[in-house]
Amino acid sequence: MLEATGLMVFYENMLALNNVSIKCEDKQIVGVFGANSAGKSTLMYTLSGIMEDIQKKENMAGGERITVLGEIHYLGQDIMGLKPSKRARRGVILCPERRRIFPESSVLENLRIGGYLASPSQAKESLAYVFRIFPALKKIKKREGGFLSGGEQQMLAIGRALMAQPSLLLLDEPLLGLSPLIQVLLVRSIKEIRDERRISIIVTEQYARPVLPIVDYAFILENGAAVLEGTREELLHNPDVRSAYFGVEE
Amino acid sequence: MDILIYGIINSIALALMALGFALVYGISRVPNFAHGALYVITGFITWSLLRTLGLNYLISIVLALIIIGVVSALIYQFALIRVRGMAISEIIASYAIGLAILEGLRWGGFKGTTYTLPVFIEGTINIGDVPVDLHRLLVVAIGGAVVILLWLFTHYTRIGLALRGMAQDERAVLMLGIDSDIMALVAMAAGGMLAGLAGIVLLPLGNIVVEKGYDVLIQAIAVCIVGGLGSWMGAVLAAFLIGFAQILTTVYLGSHFQMVVALLAIILTLILRPSGLFGKQKELEERV
Repeated sequence: MLEATGLMVFYENMLALNNVSIKCEDKQIVGVFGANSAGKSTLMYTLSGIMEDIQKKENMAGGERITVLGEIHYLGQDIMGLKPSKRARRGVILCPERRRIFPESSVLENLRIGGYLASPSQAKESLAYVFRIFPALKKIKKREGGFLSGGEQQMLAIGRALMAQPSLLLLDEPLLGLSPLIQVLLVRSIKEIRDERRISIIVTEQYARPVLPIVDYAFILENGAAVLEGTREELLHNPDVRSAYFGVEE
Repeated sequence: MDILIYGIINSIALALMALGFALVYGISRVPNFAHGALYVITGFITWSLLRTLGLNYLISIVLALIIIGVVSALIYQFALIRVRGMAISEIIASYAIGLAILEGLRWGGFKGTTYTLPVFIEGTINIGDVPVDLHRLLVVAIGGAVVILLWLFTHYTRIGLALRGMAQDERAVLMLGIDSDIMALVAMAAGGMLAGLAGIVLLPLGNIVVEKGYDVLIQAIAVCIVGGLGSWMGAVLAAFLIGFAQILTTVYLGSHFQMVVALLAIILTLILRPSGLFGKQKELEERV
């Protein structure tokens, strides 16, 4: 479904992504794990096209020189170089790190802004679906986004991304800073979304342990390079991965 | 009583002048310093359509609004888009365009007192014991309608909601498939049309003169700074504050202090509360 090969991203001379190739098959959940500054968010920005928008703005203001190289094939077409809005129209929707909720709009408005690409009937159906998988949102739909707790904001961010009718959902650190209880709930919802909406999901996380049970395939990034990849079982039985990403001492 | 009535009229007039500026800044963060020029040139376009081509008044107004919307969109697409994100360059570029329009009009011979638009409705009525002409009442009605329509547009339409999302977080909006360049273009065209509408509604109260362009720009900026840049509700509230302050000074000090009030309001706001009444620029507040 999505196949990115040889992605390289430079900020000036600093290498943020070094020849990364990742792949996501139809209706798979693919995990991307790595420490801070391993290049997870850069990868997500590159896949969704935000990187090219940042690049354009930096260029215009005479700021950092950003270089993006590589190929991204999505549903058989090359989407490298397309604007983020064009990629979103084809179904690549990013739910960003730190959520980026609209703080002055209510929960319902946040979702309706998310439904920009949806037809009225799609928007109605998706809205009902979001309220079904996250019933907590329905109770607070009049509250402003800025007054929500971290967990509620994350549900809202995922719901908002679903409103945009994704066929490939990119989740950038959806569990960041949340309590273990909410983490379990969100991980279960992510799997549910994949099973019920029949979409593919790429999810990044610092710690693999909470997400690993639901991923079909995973990549491990280190210093901008994909150092390891494999199915869930392969990673589970790799001693290096066990100690570095699951906190299991041998 | 007359202070109350004329205060309201003046406040709504100020709100009309400022809304276009607030809209463009709020959504695309472009301070449109060509705002006053758009206000005046719409008056001249309407005048030309009405007097030179002899069209119906209503048709001239609608045509002028469409023309100014297209012109604003062109200004954005061919000039401002290149400097978007650099505040100083945006100010210089848009002010240069405004200057070019205004001084171009002066050079083209549009000066003097011959240029006036007819009022929409002739006649006056008395409210209590204060005589008010009907056109001024119409200004209040149109101003109120514009505020309400703008609110409905930004809360209940797909594009309006997208515009509000973009005003809050441009990058988040990109991820949802909303094209920020097109939205900024829409905002600029709508802002230009609002400036034009303000011109058409307010210019019949006096002559169409080039100098008004500069006055309107300063008043609009004053209202937006007092209300908090980017906040539309703040702009409406600030229009009432400044509007009443202007009428009070006119009554007790003299009418030539009107502009002083606007400028003083800018200075006081920047000293006391730099982000304005409803501003969200916390960094600015902490830095000062």
